[in-house]
Amino acid sequence: MTVTIVMKHKKEKFADPPNFTEKKNYRPSDVKETGLVFVGHEVSEDRTAMNQFLHYDQLYTIRHGWNSKFFIGLLEGKIMGTRCPKCGDSWVPVRTHCWNLNCKLERTEWVEMPLTAKVHTWTVAGWSGRSSLKRLPIILVYAIIGTSKVAMANELHGMNPWDVEFEMPLKIVFKPKDQRVGAVTDFHFEPADFWKPSPMNPEKQRIKDLVTPVYEWVKTLK
Amino acid sequence: MSRKVCIIGGATTPFDYGPTGFESIEGGAAECVKETQQDVPGFSLRDLDLMIYSHFSVHFGHQLAPEWIIHDHLGLVGLPHYRVENGGNTGGSALYAAALAILSGRHDVVGVVGWETMDSVSQSQGSEFIALASDIRYELMVGGIYPIYYAAMANKWMKENHVTEEDVATIAVKNKNNAMDNPKAQWYRNDHKYITVEDVMNSRLISYPIKKLDCSLMSRGVAFLLVCSEEYAKKTNPDQYVTVDGMGLSSCTIRAGDRLNNPGWSERYGPGYPGMTEFAACRYSAEQAYKMAGIRDPLKDIDFGEIHDAFSTSEAQIYKALGLATEDTIVEFIRDERTSMHGDIPMNPGGGLLGYGHPVGATGLMSMIECYYQLAGMIPKKHLSKKTEVPNPECGIVNSHAGTGTSISNFILRRH
Ligand SMILES: [Zn+2]
Repeated sequence: MTVTIVMKHKKEKFADPPNFTEKKNYRPSDVKETGLVFVGHEVSEDRTAMNQFLHYDQLYTIRHGWNSKFFIGLLEGKIMGTRCPKCGDSWVPVRTHCWNLNCKLERTEWVEMPLTAKVHTWTVAGWSGRSSLKRLPIILVYAIIGTSKVAMANELHGMNPWDVEFEMPLKIVFKPKDQRVGAVTDFHFEPADFWKPSPMNPEKQRIKDLVTPVYEWVKTLK
Repeated sequence: MSRKVCIIGGATTPFDYGPTGFESIEGGAAECVKETQQDVPGFSLRDLDLMIYSHFSVHFGHQLAPEWIIHDHLGLVGLPHYRVENGGNTGGSALYAAALAILSGRHDVVGVVGWETMDSVSQSQGSEFIALASDIRYELMVGGIYPIYYAAMANKWMKENHVTEEDVATIAVKNKNNAMDNPKAQWYRNDHKYITVEDVMNSRLISYPIKKLDCSLMSRGVAFLLVCSEEYAKKTNPDQYVTVDGMGLSSCTIRAGDRLNNPGWSERYGPGYPGMTEFAACRYSAEQAYKMAGIRDPLKDIDFGEIHDAFSTSEAQIYKALGLATEDTIVEFIRDERTSMHGDIPMNPGGGLLGYGHPVGATGLMSMIECYYQLAGMIPKKHLSKKTEVPNPECGIVNSHAGTGTSISNFILRRH
């Protein structure tokens, strides 16, 4: 018996492919994208142990999809949040569907947030990942932007690390337009213009003592 | 539920950074199984009817499905196997999976192998790999590595609970010094010294209020845990088995900043909880485990624990989440040394992550194994002295913890 399959309809697409017209490439020249390569080995003197060096260099594409407006907003110097039309909760970082179970994953709408925030909690980093070491010490804050129900992490610049305070008012400052990459590092927090640090106290002195060697150590890097 | 989940044995390789003598993961797993066979002569690999593998990041090993190498090497072809991955709670989640398999009645003897090989990249590259378990779209490049997130949470928690840097330093001192009695512990094998609160306070800043000696260790290590039905336990190791009387597994947001007004928690514990300070998934999973095990007052009913001290600060936060102390009593609880070996509820007599080490996929299993050794009376055999033996323990708690508190499990183990 022969079975003939007839394709009655063209495969239906969920969405038309986006037409990417604005393209930028700022890949450093040392990103080789070599894939997997054995680049060396070592053998112990007694020839009982061996280590092998495997290099892997691979480019990833993060497809932001429904979250794209947030990252495009960064390119434009805006903080885009989302808001649930049913319960009114809003968020930065964004949620494309409401977190409230009663809202049954309601699709949210985009809202532009003010460029002001308030410190929820903070820390002063003296150590970090490989790509951040030279920027140490770093004040990292979790801050609430505008009406957001959640706090967002980012760096706080423009002040001594030991002066950071809970609840301190912040402004959001973007990098110059030509330096933006559409990532959260396009902006940082700075103290609001009207804010003044409080006088030195024992905790501030303790932080100052802890970060002093960090400044010295960073000078020795490369 | 009529069936009981039992633990009848287990072992780890030494935990270390760099050469351990057990560098190959399948070789390490084989040695862990062999040590278990020596402790439990009645156990044969032929008795296993399921293998669960506990491994966090293939980034470290550069091998997808590395469990297939181990499984094959152990000679277990034909046996069902799969891997569990749940961040720092991978080990706890693997035990949870093993327990479910036994409770279901489908399986009787389940082996769990866990490992991580974090020394395959530099320390700072390793920190970045682990940070890939944060929400990379929002948190990765903002100076973000896990100690920084934990520091931001701990800073606020310590202020709100009046806990000082010195208070949490005592926890680091306790666990690293406990590890000096444990020959497999990384602190014993590498740094090999007793430390003081002053040492912790003077160690380099990682992220305020966390210093270097407040942090757990990046490690290479493998562990094996033997989980089974009570019938098999009675037959195979009647004098040295423990029962898993309670277990709980819970979850929280990936980004710590999303916990301020989260409706899921507001419904359970009221508005504002857990904020960025409390580990709600720890509290909730502990409540489940306590209920299942009939624990009414954890401080009275539990004799000791092996808990997830990735940072000294997080051990303090966990005391509170486990219900051992409240905002009013936490400072006193720490300063009275309740969790040291001479306290009424010793925590991390095996050294914990701060002392034993933290090869992520093996970590939770290491905590189970140490808890099992205490309850089975095996400490004199496994540690260097009786200094780190809990006197006549009946009941222990094991806690495994992931993300910024994003997945947490708790288990109540009892001596049989
Ligand atoms: Zn809603």
